[in-house]
Amino acid sequence: MFHVLLALAGDDLHGYAILKEVELRTAGEVKLSTGTLYGIIKRLLNDGLIIERRERPSAHDDERRRYYRLTPKGREVAAAEAERLEKVVALARSRHLLKRTQPA
Amino acid sequence: MTETERRTTKRFRMLLRLLPAEFRGDFGPEMEQVFIDQREEAAREGSKMGIWRLWWETAKGIFTTAPREHLSMLRQDSTFALRMMRKNLGFTIAAIIVLGLGIGANTAIFSVVNAVLLKPLPYAHGERLLMLRERLSRSAPAGRNVSVPEMLDYRRQNRSLDAIVEYHNMQFILLGRAEPEQVETGVVSWNFFDVFGAKPLFGRDFAPDDEKDGAPAVLLLSYEFWLRSFGGDPTVVGKVFRMNDKPHTVVGVLPPFPQYPHENDVYMPSSACPFRSSAHMIGNRQMRMLRLFARMKPNVKPTEAEADLSTVAAAMQKEFPNDYPDDAQPGVEATALKSELTHEAKPTMLLLLAAAGFVLLIACANVANLNLARMVRRNRELGVRTAMGASRIRLFRQLLTESSLLALIGGALGLLLADGSLQLLSAYVARFTPRAREVHIDVAVLLFTLAVAFFVSVLTGTAPAVARRENLITTLKEGGSQSTLGFIRGRLRSALIIAQVAVSFLLLIGAGLTVRSLINLQRVDPGFRPENVLTVQFSLDFSRYTTDEKTLAFWDSLLQKVQSVPGVTSVAAAGDFPLDKSPAFSNQFAIEGRQDNPADPKPVAELNVITPEYLNVLGIPLLSGRNFDQHDHPTSPRVALINQSTARRYWPNNEDPVGKRILLANIRDGKTWTQIIGVIGDVHQHGLDSAPTDFIYLPFTQYPQNGPALMARTQGDPMAAARAVVERLYEVDPNQPAGRIQSLEQYRADSIAAPRLTANLLGLFALLALAIAAAGIGGVMALAVSQRTHEIGVRMAIGARPAEIVRMILSQGMGLALVGVIIGVAAAFALTSAVKSFLFGVTPNDPATFLGVAAVLTAATLAACYLPARRAAQVDPLRALRTE
Repeated sequence: MFHVLLALAGDDLHGYAILKEVELRTAGEVKLSTGTLYGIIKRLLNDGLIIERRERPSAHDDERRRYYRLTPKGREVAAAEAERLEKVVALARSRHLLKRTQPA
Repeated sequence: MTETERRTTKRFRMLLRLLPAEFRGDFGPEMEQVFIDQREEAAREGSKMGIWRLWWETAKGIFTTAPREHLSMLRQDSTFALRMMRKNLGFTIAAIIVLGLGIGANTAIFSVVNAVLLKPLPYAHGERLLMLRERLSRSAPAGRNVSVPEMLDYRRQNRSLDAIVEYHNMQFILLGRAEPEQVETGVVSWNFFDVFGAKPLFGRDFAPDDEKDGAPAVLLLSYEFWLRSFGGDPTVVGKVFRMNDKPHTVVGVLPPFPQYPHENDVYMPSSACPFRSSAHMIGNRQMRMLRLFARMKPNVKPTEAEADLSTVAAAMQKEFPNDYPDDAQPGVEATALKSELTHEAKPTMLLLLAAAGFVLLIACANVANLNLARMVRRNRELGVRTAMGASRIRLFRQLLTESSLLALIGGALGLLLADGSLQLLSAYVARFTPRAREVHIDVAVLLFTLAVAFFVSVLTGTAPAVARRENLITTLKEGGSQSTLGFIRGRLRSALIIAQVAVSFLLLIGAGLTVRSLINLQRVDPGFRPENVLTVQFSLDFSRYTTDEKTLAFWDSLLQKVQSVPGVTSVAAAGDFPLDKSPAFSNQFAIEGRQDNPADPKPVAELNVITPEYLNVLGIPLLSGRNFDQHDHPTSPRVALINQSTARRYWPNNEDPVGKRILLANIRDGKTWTQIIGVIGDVHQHGLDSAPTDFIYLPFTQYPQNGPALMARTQGDPMAAARAVVERLYEVDPNQPAGRIQSLEQYRADSIAAPRLTANLLGLFALLALAIAAAGIGGVMALAVSQRTHEIGVRMAIGARPAEIVRMILSQGMGLALVGVIIGVAAAFALTSAVKSFLFGVTPNDPATFLGVAAVLTAATLAACYLPARRAAQVDPLRALRTE
């Protein structure tokens, strides 16, 4: 879920682009399948964290494609989650669980 | 689109079908697009592996997402459904009660059907167990009993059976406890329980040595007897009691299991029974006293066993021609034990299951109708939701969730109702089958209830959903209730009402017919007066009453003593009394001076042995001749009374049988002439529903009996004299226990208890159906009135009088009922022959019942329509016109 929010934090993307973005950003560690992805999208839509963008980037785009955009609320949630993770990482580091050479 | 793309899309769509329709509708096309992109990418990379991995990952994702999505929708729907149910509390409660009653009736009856008819016998290899009957001649029906030598032949010569075991039942007296006790005793082969697969709870089973001649006598106690008489004390094993004048050691206690053919108190091996082990019994082929049970070898069919044993029977006849009748064509009938145990119960169970099913159908129709009526009010809500983008399938799912919740709650209520009624029901089926103890609510019953609830939810939920297949725009435009679809829905509602009336009619006919049979049964003149008669059954201890003199002396003194008991007006002894279940002894006889035509069947009559007071005690009239008296004693000429039916059959055309002589076969030497001294009235000896049979009565003094009944006519309640009578018995012989003590009236009541309960249950179902259907009609008419308020107002404004309005509403309701009744009559004509075997003295198409039921239904419909009709008549035209 967090990964999808992160992917949308940059640009408005359509489904396939989200998949690619997540895969790319995690260096292939997180691979979402279509079913999982749209389960997540549905929940994010329901919770109002993302919305579907009305306008399309270009007219000859496949009409089946829908573009999603992070809402302000979604941005807040993503930020809050990132902060929480940061704290966790800091804690882990203070316990010497992580090597210093590898920043978060 | 390329060919590959098309194929991929097709396959992907199949996967998508796992997801909820709504989810598919929202994201399906998009997911397709994404997948195609993914696939293209994988293809570009050029490895087949990549494509396979994509498919695998995608399938995995959908398989994990789908259940989650379904569940979340279900949660949403249920929350919404619960809210709607709370909002329409009246509807909810009505629907739950109606469905609860319908499901409860079915669950209860099914739990009985399941235990009695469906479950395998609770014996090891129950499906391989048989009961054997021997057919001695082509024409004669197969008899239950076989002789010892015959059994040994069957055992030795058959090829199809694992084992043949014997059984017979005796009443013996058990001594050694505080009071002597008469016990029902099963006398069996040593491996009887092994064949049935019953292992003793405590102690040991019989062993081969127990059956050897002269082996020390041993006993197994039945579970019920052990609980009842020994309080479930396991130390009873090893105790020694006296029976038949010798010590018997208890070696074990049997587990609870259905005993067949009798519920016995104790079991003993064949060698311990003084009758069975006598030389006369062991050596004589014609002394048929054993019932045979057999276990087939694996993979043998009953018909094969039958053929095998019939071959043995034919060989026996060839070897011992003197022991079989001349026209003999001996054969053996092998009945599966399961059908033997349940064939009496089956028709009744199926009838009740059908009746319960009908009740459920009515309940469903009723709730569907309630649902439809509610839809009218929810029309706008659903319309708005459709307009806001909810797909039809989504709404359908919502409606189905609501009806499923109702059905589930109704099912839970039904389960409670069924559980509450189970004790009563199993007591009822115990009259038909020994399997009654197995009646429980088990997993199969729970699954059945769940299946019924599912069926109900589909039935009640789809009706309104189907009725919604109409144009959304009309709904919104016309603002709800009075649209054209109201007409379609009205038709569906009418059809449902008609169906309820028709099915109620069927059930009422079934109940009416069985109730009428019951009344007929109760009206049967039994030929005797059962009121105020006490019966005490016992068997004299044959080990002490060894001669006729001793037996007669006992009876003389007992009858005298009982005569002096306060309240007793007359007392008699007899071998059999009416309506007792034990069969009387059938015997052939010859009439003096008649030429026997060998082709004719020989005269046969049942025998009973009585004291002179028997006629008085039972109130049986002496029609001609004289009764037995003190002049008929052991050494005087042999005499007999016959009943009217025997007189008419063998002395037709008003010929007087009194003074004629007959020769009774198998009695004493079979060569002494017996004179008929009188004719007495017919008695329904074997049940009120079977015609009186031919009877010959012999005097007790000339044929003293060990296993008789004492009967006393009393002033007032006969049971009040019971204690005093038993005390007199102990005065005469302190070691002689009394067996069953019961009033004759009770025997009469018991003899019709089964038909009475059947009639009661059918009556209950029918009343339930009637109430539900009437409430349904009333509800629909009330709705119609509220929908037509405007029209009624107009009618009244232009001069219609209230009485005309009432008539209009009533005739509408009655019209529906009439169609229902007509369909019901047609269905009843087609179906009532199914209940023919349950009827007594009434035909399945009994006009009185049909008319009566039609009248009852009409009256109920009228009553149900009256309230809404009156409300219609009270419509204020001004207010009604303003509502638009």
